[in-house]
Formats: sequence, structure tokens, C-alpha cells
Amino acid sequence: MNLSYNWLAEYIDLSGYTPGELAEKLTMAGIEVEAMEESALVPEGVVVAKILERAPHPDADKLSVCKVFDGKDNLQIVCGAPNCDAGKTVPLATIGTVFINADGSEFKIKKGKLRGVESMGMLCSSDELGLDGDHSGLLELDDKLEAGTPLRQIFAGDVAYELEITPNRPDWLSHWGVARDLACLIKREAKMPKIGKLIAAPASAPAGLVSVEAPELCPRYTARVIRNVKVQDSPEWLKERLLSIGLRPINNIVDITNFVLHELGHPLHAFDLDKLAGQKIIVRSAAEGEKFVALDGSELKLAGRHLVIADAEKAVALAGVMGGLDSGVTEGTVNILLESATFQPSGIRSTSRELNMRSDSSYRFERGTDWDMVETASDRATDLILQLAGGELVTPLVDVNTGRPRFEKVICRFDRIRSLIGADIDNEEILRILSSLRLEVSELDDRQCYVTPPLFRLDIEREADLAEEIARIHGLDAIPVPPVKSVLGGMRKDDSYYKNQELRDQLIALGFYECTHYSMVSEESALKDTAFNGDDLVRIGNPLSLELACMRPSLTGEMLATVERNISRQNTDLKLFELGRVFCANKDMYPEERHELCVVLSGRKHPERFSAERGELYDFYDLKGVIESLFEQRRVQSFSFRKSKDGKFDYCAEIVVNGRVCGHAGLVNKAYTKGFKTKNPVFMAVIQADMLMNMKAPKTLLQQLSQFPSTTRDVAFVAPDTLLHSEVMDFIVKAKLKFLEKVELFDIFRDDSLGSGKKSMAYTLTFRNPERTLTDKEVNSSFDKLRENLAKNLGVELR
Amino acid sequence: MSNAIIEQLNSAVAAAEEKLKAATSENDIENVRIEMNGRKGIIPALSKEMKNVPPEQRKDTGIAFNDAKNKLQEFLDAAVDRIAGSSDSSGECDIDLTLPGRKWQSGRKHPISTVMDDCVSIFRRMGFIVVDGPEIEDVYHNFDALNTPADHPSRDPGDTFYFGDGRLLRTQTSPVQIRTMENNDPPIRIVAPGRTFRRDTPDATHSMNFHQIEGLYIDRNVSLGDLKSALLYFAHEMFGPKVGIRMRPHFFPFTEPSVEVDFSCIMCEGKGCRICKNSGWLEIAGAGMVDPNVLKNVGYDPDEWSGYAWGMGIERIAMLRYRINDIRFLYENDVRFLEQF
Repeated sequence: MNLSYNWLAEYIDLSGYTPGELAEKLTMAGIEVEAMEESALVPEGVVVAKILERAPHPDADKLSVCKVFDGKDNLQIVCGAPNCDAGKTVPLATIGTVFINADGSEFKIKKGKLRGVESMGMLCSSDELGLDGDHSGLLELDDKLEAGTPLRQIFAGDVAYELEITPNRPDWLSHWGVARDLACLIKREAKMPKIGKLIAAPASAPAGLVSVEAPELCPRYTARVIRNVKVQDSPEWLKERLLSIGLRPINNIVDITNFVLHELGHPLHAFDLDKLAGQKIIVRSAAEGEKFVALDGSELKLAGRHLVIADAEKAVALAGVMGGLDSGVTEGTVNILLESATFQPSGIRSTSRELNMRSDSSYRFERGTDWDMVETASDRATDLILQLAGGELVTPLVDVNTGRPRFEKVICRFDRIRSLIGADIDNEEILRILSSLRLEVSELDDRQCYVTPPLFRLDIEREADLAEEIARIHGLDAIPVPPVKSVLGGMRKDDSYYKNQELRDQLIALGFYECTHYSMVSEESALKDTAFNGDDLVRIGNPLSLELACMRPSLTGEMLATVERNISRQNTDLKLFELGRVFCANKDMYPEERHELCVVLSGRKHPERFSAERGELYDFYDLKGVIESLFEQRRVQSFSFRKSKDGKFDYCAEIVVNGRVCGHAGLVNKAYTKGFKTKNPVFMAVIQADMLMNMKAPKTLLQQLSQFPSTTRDVAFVAPDTLLHSEVMDFIVKAKLKFLEKVELFDIFRDDSLGSGKKSMAYTLTFRNPERTLTDKEVNSSFDKLRENLAKNLGVELR
Repeated sequence: MSNAIIEQLNSAVAAAEEKLKAATSENDIENVRIEMNGRKGIIPALSKEMKNVPPEQRKDTGIAFNDAKNKLQEFLDAAVDRIAGSSDSSGECDIDLTLPGRKWQSGRKHPISTVMDDCVSIFRRMGFIVVDGPEIEDVYHNFDALNTPADHPSRDPGDTFYFGDGRLLRTQTSPVQIRTMENNDPPIRIVAPGRTFRRDTPDATHSMNFHQIEGLYIDRNVSLGDLKSALLYFAHEMFGPKVGIRMRPHFFPFTEPSVEVDFSCIMCEGKGCRICKNSGWLEIAGAGMVDPNVLKNVGYDPDEWSGYAWGMGIERIAMLRYRINDIRFLYENDVRFLEQF
């Protein structure tokens, strides 16, 4: 809502509050000032002047030399405007006047010469004064103005505020409403505008002028008929008020209804009585398919759920939302019917939203209006119409209503209020605040009272609502800050965030960059993870676009998009992960929501190092090693990587932990990466993170450190390419060599000298006896036997 | 007593001594050690001759072997000491110390995670437990139980994502509050960090998914003052001790009284700058005292219990902290962006 400082000052004394201080006051009271715009203030030193004579400049065709009276002296002024004729009343910037240019620089009027002729000031156009209007010449002022009058008295500056009014406070949606609240904040009185006594000529209204067929949607409808009005431009003061809040003046009648809406907060509508068939008003539900052309020209087809204001034949207004094109006040209007009513808020809201018709009226009606203001606003507008448009009031207020409502009283226990706010506000202060807010206090004792809100306060139903008001007026800044109440924060096992954080931190420690992607993806991206088909996707009913229509079933699609995006930007060395929630509609596969971990490696391992290391590329075993270290950190021992097939990979392993598949790791399908601007392979692992995060580490018990030295033996052999490392390991383990502590692969290579289909493998075996030093003999006998058996049973050629 | 083996031993040790005296590097010393005592060295080779020594000489020969080994070790140690000493005293270093170190590249936490982790750890320190809830929610937990009017605009399909079955993507982390209160008796002290969704078309300042953290404290005699002190502590931990906070009255359906919480601008310390639009304040959190209707909805007696709740946007804090001017950067995952945090 827009609010004008000057307009507000009509109802409450703002002296001592600069526009900035007022903004602060309002904001801290819950009326948030979102923006503040100062309209230009005419510079000091500009006065009303009379042009006495005009003569041509001796040396310049376009300039004139004028003799001007500024209220004290006759001055010679050189002027370039075409309309600086003798006899006109115009603004004069006297010597010393300072103008502020748009760029903030200053421009000072000095005594000077223009083409050799002395000039003692400057006559001004509206543009130069920062005012609206014709820019082609001098601003022509009313001849009745006295010379020497400071122009500031005629064109006062103003400040327009843009307010954010929360939906619970429709009573703030007007200048009067803000003034009324401000009155208790700054402890000054707010004064309602004076309304003249309204006397209707003949004391009775035509029978059947108003009938309300839907009283539940329209609990109060009032009308007045004013005849013989003169529709014309509004006076300057009224135009200025509307302009100050960004409204365009139209004609006096329409302007008055708009003015009263922004003054008192109650929407009004003026009909051209002669355009109402039967000269009557019927408030009814629209007929199915009833046509209506609104004021803004939009043609609507209505339904029974829409409330209309109709005449004897047709809908003439969409109740509370917008008037009709054909029934409004125009220049030719002579007789008017002034509507002031209340409508049921939810009805207005749904109609306005459904038909996408919004207006200042619907904005207020859908939030709720003040029952009592129906009459006051009608009185105010009628009074102004009679003043500004003439005419005769020919009916008293025709008022069809369901009876004035009464709000429930609310208990106010003083201790409870203090406890909720956390401030020691005494009973007297509480009562002062309540009464300054025009809340009615009853049944008062030392501990409590009852409070009945006025009909304009639609938001006070519970004690907490009273606490809010008392805290607000007392000042939230005045609430003391007690020491932080801290208690034991429960068990870590109950902290759901912890495991997540732990896993992320482990990957970061391993050198990975964490990524975050949107939860919504296109179907194409979703199905990049070939574990899912279209039926497994959780689809959004009202997506923003097809690109964002599915909840991601896997992190795969968006992670690959990130890889591609990075590579296209020449970031080719990638070590990325995301830990995030993914969604699945197929309950047999996964729960609806679960956590997934996606890890990607591609490019150089050590781009920041030099020499030979710099060129080393990631391979599958780097990825495998990362996963192994995640298991190691959880002390999981029984995991394995099994050959598997999965459409998103060219080759891949399924990661099996305790017999359950926990994820896949492999080389990303070339079909996905073929467009990437790199030849480097892309390795990816997709892991069911909940399984990983919930793995319980077995108990760790100290193994005594042996005091005796170990001894090692190496065995190297040439094996067929098909022999797996795991077969070698299993074979050695099964051989159960005495004192064997560990076996490590230390070399593997393929070479022409070995012959095709062959590889060389070399293992180091470490032996140790925890009780004494091993002798060579003890080790050699079992080691030699192992060598023999390797050659015999695995078909390898010892080296 | 002497024999050929002993003589050879002695002369080999003497030769080794000379070489070690002349040695200039650790490498030279190691070469002498290998020549003498390596697997194929002089001493092991001579020890194989032991079997040819007459029995009566064996004892002396054995002693000679021991002496030779001990002497050799002495000479080796002396040479090592000499070289170590000389490099100390010379104070010279012939490697290029300015070459880059072989870095163990550490990873990077995403700025959203960093901010979220920071928030979580601050509130953990005040005793808040972290809880979690589903992102696909029902209308009851996301709106009804939170006292949202049936025709509130936030329920509109233009603002909220719905699924065919009437469920929705949570628009706030608040349903976690409801679920926690439904399943636990007061007192309650939780924070709920997580992802939330609103039907905003992405641009520099909007994202259809974003992150929030929300807190709830229900106990006897909890006041607005307690809310203020908890958030002031948070402000100091998060942004430093100079940061102040202010509460402004506001309106939310799920709290009454409701406030918006501003932090004094972290850029200009409240003096006024472009970031805070010259106001000196930044809007950070929405908060208030839990509405009595919300308490009733979960079966708590609003006359016995009271509590505060607050919520704030993680992206907003991250963008302020790192001066990220486009929210979409956070979801783009360009490594040149990620490596800055």
C-alpha cells in the first residue's frame, strides 16, 4: 500500500518526526516500510513573482529582458522562455537559490550577465522546479497569488511510502488506519476528518431500491441516491492527494470514491443511476454463464458461485471486485447511486483469484473490512460529493444488513502476557496500551481482565493476539535479553544430521569437491540412471516446466551434466561428489525418499604436481580405493566388488556388503560421455548412502604389538591374464601358512617379453611369530611349499 | 694367531677405513657398506671360508670377524657423523626450495553445507537436537497443522508443488516441528535443517528448491525474550560479536506474536550500504511464539506450554557471507566456483 506523509499528517500531528523517523517508527511497529520516495521539494528561495514588462534582448533573438516584481523590489531578469509575457505570475529563483541536479550536484543562482545584460535571478519552468506539468515554458501560476510568497507554501514536498501490510491487519490499509495505530505508538491523538451533517431532501427512499438475495455473502449493503451532480475535474487538492499515492485522477465522483477508500480504508462504488435498469440494486449470485463486462474492458462469463451487484436486468458489478463498464460514472452522469457494503472475505478472495481480477477494493474486502466503516465511508463520500459536485441527496442511507456483529471477549491474564513476552510490563501499562488501541476492557481485577476488540480489529481472538499487541506497542526492542537457556542436547544417535555430516567430511578429507543439484530434473536426466524406468519416477503434478517435472530418482543424471558442463569450461580434472536425497515411486525397489552418494573421478590425479605425476590419470582403482577407504573408516571388512552389468556403465562392479548390494562403481557408459570435450575416461560410483551411513562398526580391540621382527619373502610369477588377484589371494589364504601375517600385491605388469595373454604378478608375504624371532628355516620350508603349489595348482610360471 | 682370512679381513677393513675417510656423501658411505657387508660383500664372502679354517683357529677367526664388523661399523658411523656435521656447518642447501610442494589436494565443502553445518553446530551447542523429516509431505503437516487458513495463497498450486495424490513438496521445514511434537512430549528443543520447495521460476534471487533451518523450543514459560537471546547468540557466533539484532512485528499463521528478525548489516556494521539498502539491517529470520492453535493441533495445552519457533534461509546467509550475487551459481557446481570455499 502507498501512503503519503502529508496526507497522513491530516489526521495526526507528525511534527517532530522526519519522514525517515516516521518510517522507522512504522517499521518497528509492524507496518514495514519497503521503500520511501521523496517527491521534489521546491528549493528555498523560489518565490511568486509578477512580470511587469517584457522587452527583446538587444543581442539575442531568443532572449527577453523582463522587469519582475518579487514582492519587494523590481528586478531585471533575462529569460529564454517563450511565455514570459508581461502580466503573468511566475516562479522566480532569487539570487542565492540552490538547485540540486539529478546527479546530486548543486547549481546556485548568481547575479550575472547574459549576453551583456544583467540578470538578477531566474524565472522557472515546472521542469526546473522538479514539478509535473508543461515543460515548454515558464510555470504559470494563479494570478491571485501574492508576489513574494515562497513557492514551498504552494508546492509542498511530500514523501510516498510503500508499505508491506501483513494480511492480518486490513485495518492498516488506509491513511486513517495508520494514523489510528500511530496514535498509540507516539501517544498523540488521531483525528477523524470532519463530516458535514447530511440531510436528505425527501425523507424516504424509493421502495425496493436495494434487495440482498445472498446475505451470507453480503452481510451489509448500503446505498444513497444523489441527483443532479456535476461531473467534472476534481479540485487540485484532491488530484494531488491521489497523485501522491500513484493514482490517476479521473473525475470528481470517481476520485472521491478512490480518495475515501485510501483515506478510511473502505471501498465504495458509484453507479450512474440512470444506467441501472429499474433504478434498483439486487445483490445476488450470478446466473450460470451470465456475461459481464468489467470496467477494465475484460469480458467475463460468470457462474453461480460469483456474487454480483445487478440491476433489474443484468449484472452491473462483480461484487467487491470491480464495477461494470456500462454502469459507471461518466461525464454525462447526472444522478448517482453510491454503494457502501461489506462482503464475505473468502468469497471475494476466491472470485478475484479465479477470475484473475484484482483491485484496491478486492484487496481490502478479501482481508476483511470494518462493519461500522460502511456508514462512515458513505457519509464521508456523500459529503464530499455534495461539496465538490453539487447535487441533492434524495435518500437517507438505505441499509440492508444482517445485524451488527459483536466480537467475543478475550481473556487477558497479566502474568501470562508478561511470561509470553518475557518483559516486566506492569498492569497499568498493559491497560494503557489496550485502551489506546481502542480495545474495550471489562471485568478488570488485579490478575486479569477481558478485552473486546472493536469491529475494525479482525485479528484479536486469543490471549496470544493480545500479547502481540502489547509487545508491539511496548516495543520489541525493550524486551530484555535473558541469558541463553541451554540444556543437554540429547544423544548423538538421535541427531540425524550427524552421519550425513560425517560422510561428507570424509569425502572432503579425501580431496573431493562437494556438489549440490536441484531435486527436480527432466525425465531424460532422471532415466540416465538405467536402474529406473518411467514408472519408478515421482512426478510433480504442476511442474514449472518439463525440464523440472520429475523428482530425481538418482544423482547420476545431474552429476553427469555437471561433469559435462565443467569439461566444456575446460575444468577437466574432476573429483566430485554429492550426497543427497533421491526419490522413487516403486516401493518394491526403494523407499520413497532415501539418500544417495554419487562420486566422480576424471582427468589428472595430480594436476597441481610436477614431473611424471602430473600426467597420471585416474583409473578404476582410484575410485575403488575411495570406496574402500569409506568402508575402512567404518571398519567394514566384509565387502567385495563383483562383476556386474548396469546400463550407465561400460563396465562396473557391484559393491556388496554383508551380502547386500550397496551400489555400483565403474566406467561411465561411453554413450553418455561421447559428446564430452575430453578423452579422459569418467569413473563414477553410485552408492546407497543410507546403507553406508548406518553401517555399524565392529568393536575395535587392541591387538598386542609383537616385540619380534618380521621377515618377508617375495614371490613373482607369470600368469595367464585371466587369473584374478582374488584367486591368488584366496589360494594363499587357504594354504594357511604358519606365521603368515599379511600378503600384498606389489607389482603387476604386462609386457611383450611375457607373451600375449600373460601378466607378471609379484607378491610380498610377511611372516611373524609373536613369541620369538623366526628362523629362516621355519619360513623357507612353508614358503617353498607355497611356491611349488602356486605353480602346480594355479598354472603360473615362477620367476 | 693369524691366517689368510684374518689378514684379508684386516686389509679389507683398512681399505674401507680409507674410503670412508674420503667419502663425501651418504651414497659413498652406503657403497662401502654394501662392498663390505652387503649380501655379496667381502665379509659374508670370507665367512663362507670359515669351514676351511682348522678347528683350533676357529675361535680366533670368529673373534676377528666380530672385531672387523665392529670396526667397520665404527668407521661407518664416524663417516656418517662427519658428513652430517659438515652439511650442518656449511649451511648450504642445493635443492630448489621454491618448487611447489607435492600437494595433497584437500576437498571443498559446498557453501550451502558450510553454512548449514555452522548453523547446526551453533544450535547444537545450545542443546538443540537435529531432526529430519520427509520432503514429500502431506497437506496436513505442511499447512493445516501449522494453522494456515484453507484459502491462504501459499497453498495455491501456483506457489506450491503438488503430486497427483494430493501430497506436496514441503514449502518449509516446519512440518518437521509438527511431526516431532506429535511423537514427543514437551519439553522439545529441536532444529530441522533441510531442503524446501516453492514454485518460483529460477532467477538470480529465486530458486525452486532451497534450504532452510528451523528451530523449535517448547517448555514452560518460554518467552519472546528467550527467542531474542537465542538468536542473538546465534548472530554473534555466526557473524561476530559486533552484530546486533532487532525484532519487528510481523505476521505468520503459525506464530503469535510473530516477528521478523533483522541482523545489523554484516558488510557495513549497520552504517548503511548497498547490501542493506542503506537501512543498516538485513532481514534474516522469521520467528515468533508458537501459535496456540498449533499447540492444540499436536495435543499440547497452550495454557501450560509455550514456545518459540524461528526459520531462516541458508542460501540467503551464504549469499550474504560470500557475496554471491546469483543463487544459481550455488547449483551449477563449476569447480572454479567450488574451489573458492
